Amino acid sequence: MPEWTRERSWELLLAVILVGTIVYNATQSPVYLDVDNFVNLFRLSIEKVIVAVAMTFVIINGEIDLSVASVMAFAACVLAAAHESGVPFGLAIAIALAAAASAGFVQGLVVAKTGISSLVVTLAGLIGFRGAARVLLEDRSIGEFPDWFGDLGRADFLGPMPFALVLFLVMLVVGGVILHRTSFGRRVYVIGNNADVARFSGIDVARVKLVLFTMSGLVAGVAGVLFAARLGSVRANIGEGFELDIITMVLLGGVSIFGGSGTLLGVALAICIVLNLRNGLGLANVEANTQTGVIGALLIVSVLAQNLLDRLPLRRREAEVEA
Amino acid sequence: MTDASAPGPVPVLAMRGICKRFGATRALEDVSLELRRGEVHALVGENGAGKSTLIKVMTGVYPPDEGEVLVDGEPVSLRSAADAQRLGIAAIYQEPLIFPDLSVAENIFIGHQDQGHVVRWRQMCADAEAILARLDVHIDPRIPASGLPVATQQAIEIAKAISLDVRVLIMDEPTAALSAHEVERLFRQVRQLRDAGVAVLFISHRLDEVFEIADRVSVFRDGRHVSTDARDDVTRPRLIAAMVGRQMSDFYARHDHHAGDVILRVRDLGRTGKFAGVSFDLRRGEVLGLAGLVGAGRTDIALALFGIAPAETGAIELDGKPVTIATPRQALDHGIAYLSEDRRHVGLSLPQSVTANITLPSLRRYVSRLGLVNGAAERSAAERFRRQLSIRTAGLSQPVGLLSGGNQQKTMLAKWLNTEPAVLILDEPTRGIDVGAKADVHQIIDELARSGMAIVLISSDLPEVLAVSDRVLVMREGEQTGVFDRSEATQERVMTAAVGVA
Amino acid sequence: MTAADVAGLHGTRRRPGRTAVWIRPERVKELSLLGVIVVALLVFSFLVDDYFSGRFFNRVTTSVAITAVLAVAQTLVIVTRNIDLSVGSIVGVTAYLTGQFASSNPSTSPAVAIAIAVGLGALLGAINGVIVAYGRVPAIITTLGTLAIYRSWLISHGEGKTITADSLPSWVVDLPTRTAFSIGGLDIRVVFAVVVVIVVVLQVAMQRLRWGRRLYAIGSNPEAAAQAGLPTRRLVLGAFIACGALSGFAGFLFLSRFGNITVVAGQGLELDSVAAAVVGGVSVLGGSGTLVGAFLGAVLIDVLDQSLVRVPQVSEFWRNAILGALILAAVIADVVIGRRFRRRWSAEARPHTRVDGSGDESDATRVPALTAAEQSGRPDA
Repeated sequence: MPEWTRERSWELLLAVILVGTIVYNATQSPVYLDVDNFVNLFRLSIEKVIVAVAMTFVIINGEIDLSVASVMAFAACVLAAAHESGVPFGLAIAIALAAAASAGFVQGLVVAKTGISSLVVTLAGLIGFRGAARVLLEDRSIGEFPDWFGDLGRADFLGPMPFALVLFLVMLVVGGVILHRTSFGRRVYVIGNNADVARFSGIDVARVKLVLFTMSGLVAGVAGVLFAARLGSVRANIGEGFELDIITMVLLGGVSIFGGSGTLLGVALAICIVLNLRNGLGLANVEANTQTGVIGALLIVSVLAQNLLDRLPLRRREAEVEA
Repeated sequence: MTDASAPGPVPVLAMRGICKRFGATRALEDVSLELRRGEVHALVGENGAGKSTLIKVMTGVYPPDEGEVLVDGEPVSLRSAADAQRLGIAAIYQEPLIFPDLSVAENIFIGHQDQGHVVRWRQMCADAEAILARLDVHIDPRIPASGLPVATQQAIEIAKAISLDVRVLIMDEPTAALSAHEVERLFRQVRQLRDAGVAVLFISHRLDEVFEIADRVSVFRDGRHVSTDARDDVTRPRLIAAMVGRQMSDFYARHDHHAGDVILRVRDLGRTGKFAGVSFDLRRGEVLGLAGLVGAGRTDIALALFGIAPAETGAIELDGKPVTIATPRQALDHGIAYLSEDRRHVGLSLPQSVTANITLPSLRRYVSRLGLVNGAAERSAAERFRRQLSIRTAGLSQPVGLLSGGNQQKTMLAKWLNTEPAVLILDEPTRGIDVGAKADVHQIIDELARSGMAIVLISSDLPEVLAVSDRVLVMREGEQTGVFDRSEATQERVMTAAVGVA
Repeated sequence: MTAADVAGLHGTRRRPGRTAVWIRPERVKELSLLGVIVVALLVFSFLVDDYFSGRFFNRVTTSVAITAVLAVAQTLVIVTRNIDLSVGSIVGVTAYLTGQFASSNPSTSPAVAIAIAVGLGALLGAINGVIVAYGRVPAIITTLGTLAIYRSWLISHGEGKTITADSLPSWVVDLPTRTAFSIGGLDIRVVFAVVVVIVVVLQVAMQRLRWGRRLYAIGSNPEAAAQAGLPTRRLVLGAFIACGALSGFAGFLFLSRFGNITVVAGQGLELDSVAAAVVGGVSVLGGSGTLVGAFLGAVLIDVLDQSLVRVPQVSEFWRNAILGALILAAVIADVVIGRRFRRRWSAEARPHTRVDGSGDESDATRVPALTAAEQSGRPDA
């Protein structure tokens, strides 16, 4: 069963790397193993991490969503603009989420109905929705949100964990069940493997894609709202460049960019590795921007490693069997 | 002038003692084969017999583990496609490899290494036109190669080989997607090549064609070279026996079917540009064969019945009730299942397990309230089919891509049978699979018909259609030209209806 | 598309013959792009007072130069079914380092400065190319990674310092305003003229040189390219090196245009280059699209950009939103019109065609720049 063991071997490798990273960081700094520190690890990147869960579905399905950071900013700006106009805050949040979901829906519609590559469509979205955010807020900064909102973003919600972290964990579990145990998840994989086979097997490919892109937009919207809650203020340029970290987490997690394979467990491990890496580098006084460079290198290396694993004898046999 | 039937002094290409293994699988074991100038050498064998591996060794894709390859008597080391090309060895596959965005002329000449840095367009187009004309293909070489018919694309590949002064041309199942007329033209092209001194290795499952075009015939079985004879020294039964290792008749002797009431009624079905005015009744327990040339519209009818490319005019009735079929899901809900002709790209999800493939269209049966999939129920369903259809696999969780062609076909069949259809449409179910598996499939069709399933069989293998069907419907250029009962269907009558009066 | 063209398209069964006038599909796209630009100019002349002026022409030609070069660079890579998202970072690195060199060596000649920028760019492009072609890491991932790596290196190297225009040799800063010649009342700037020459030369190279045709071949069908014995890896590497070199040249233009170079110079330019290429009719699936088209795409985007700014009712903040919508519209139009054209172009002789819908669905089943120029599952050739 080469496919199965190959997948598991990647997760195993990730687990080893994670343990290694944690051990190393722990020796460098005594407070590392503190629970609070772990929570903090996530706190600063929680929005990226939430989007990574959604992105996993999209990439396994054989697509990509480059617009997530822009939709995040767009949602935050919708929220801020609505708040500024005096809209009741709860409603403002709902509007922001609806706007984000619509952004995803529109992109999904174009991809599903016209067959244009999602790379191009979401690239247009990346540019367009960032622009929409800029139209809303121009170059202002809006803040002064209700206290309960700031608490939601920053304060402890369940034990030492903020709301966003709890949400992430719930999403991870629910997402894992959906992806690996339901027929919807099965369909996501098959379409990513081969959309034609899916279509000929009676699967409504267009509908699945539409659902996934809408969900991706909605999740980006949630992340944007939480970002606003955590930061306390919103500008049109927030989240710029987030897509790099998000895609890295997913691909490092063993999800193939071609679609059809990968697990949420792998992505969860990869998320931990990336966060630990940033945290550890930060503690070692490595600048944030250099950290980004390291993440970029990690992204490339992770795929190189996947390629190497693919070339092991386990895989060879598949190429031989022919019609 | 070469005397085509006399052996040349030294074979152009010789394989001696070639061995190739993949892990524990022995794809080629001590294989020796000689290809001579100006000769059409046919290669037959079941799937898994090693033919494709042999081609890959010949074209430099795989280096052999043992043994040597000799060109003109000299040992050579083929490490890449470029090496093979330089030695004049080229291969053409079932699915032509062309560049859709480039012009026809560019497609022919793109691989040329020695033509300098600048492209001479006018010269290239003139040369292209000339080569194609010799192959009896007349098209403007400037147009993009995309969208051209398969036969023309194949001709482009042959033209490519000719332009490279090919000395050994390997053709892997070249007639699989061609109409009878196009096959005739291909044979003319092949004979032209042969007369010009090219050594042609012709790989085919269609023994009729082998006997028409080949000068010598070799048989492979289980990775070994079994025999090589001059065409006139062998008979079909002997070839088949050598291929399967045992005496066997081509087709399974079928039982009589007792057709029940009409389950599917099609009236005046049409789709612009594809087919028009198609009407027929299909009864339970009946096998209706759809015969005709490739492109006559048979698959289009199937795609319409299955909702992939719905009909625009006409009516469909199932069990007496009019229905509209706009998506495959609707077709499945109405009890229509379609086994497509292209199993590798459209029929099966190769990296996924046998079980997952079998349950894919009927997944909702194995799903609980929350949407969770019941793995145990899935596996038992897959196990049932494994036994019923004798699917040979190391395990049900094996990726289906690792199975042989015949077993993949059976998996695909299981997949559709699992949807418990009332009407099963089979599109070229035995194409590209070995004789043994073919017979298995015919047996299964027979049993299904006897159990009351209505079956539509699309096949370009006329003897197969005649042997298996209760009635034969013939299509020509999108129109229905005849319906024959089993008793009155002869090859001549069907062919006449398929090609029209000359 | 003339009647003669349609009449001249034939299948294997009809009378053979050549068309009188053969218009390649790419020409049609380029001409329609030109048409759209003209229409846009006309529309804006109604919305903006004193629209057609020499100043406007200068503004457009100056600002388009950089994106035009990048669009051309990007196209070279995209036609091979890859993508280069690191061009913005390459522009930043080359602009900054060339500026640093020029400010510490005031006697730097133009030739040397350009050589440094181009050489540096080629090196960075080569790194991309090696990882993509030989490491078989898909281009989108490689260049997403190098985008970060190159930029992060620049930021560390720069330590927050800005290259100032004053420190640069005067010829560098004066370059954007130097005029090559004048036609009527319009001044053709040196920079613009050079860029146009580059585009034309490369366009001819792509159409006439075997090297160029092979780049198209790789993108059109990577498997066929390998089977035809084309040195695919070397060709892809070459495309990335060329892209990097051109990006380096764009970095030089950036330096001369802006003078003050910060460590975030060039950020975001990669998106502009892809947008310009896509609008210009280059397909991300590879194998089609021309450099002239990409150039026209850059011009169109820039014209819209510059014009919108001058329309009083539209604020500058609309720029990105409109650009995004424009890209989408351009791609959708291309697909819809393209499909209609393809049905007429193809010499499909019904009904003897293979019933597999090839030609129409071929786009949907081809995997775009998301994947490298290699096919998964194939053993090492």
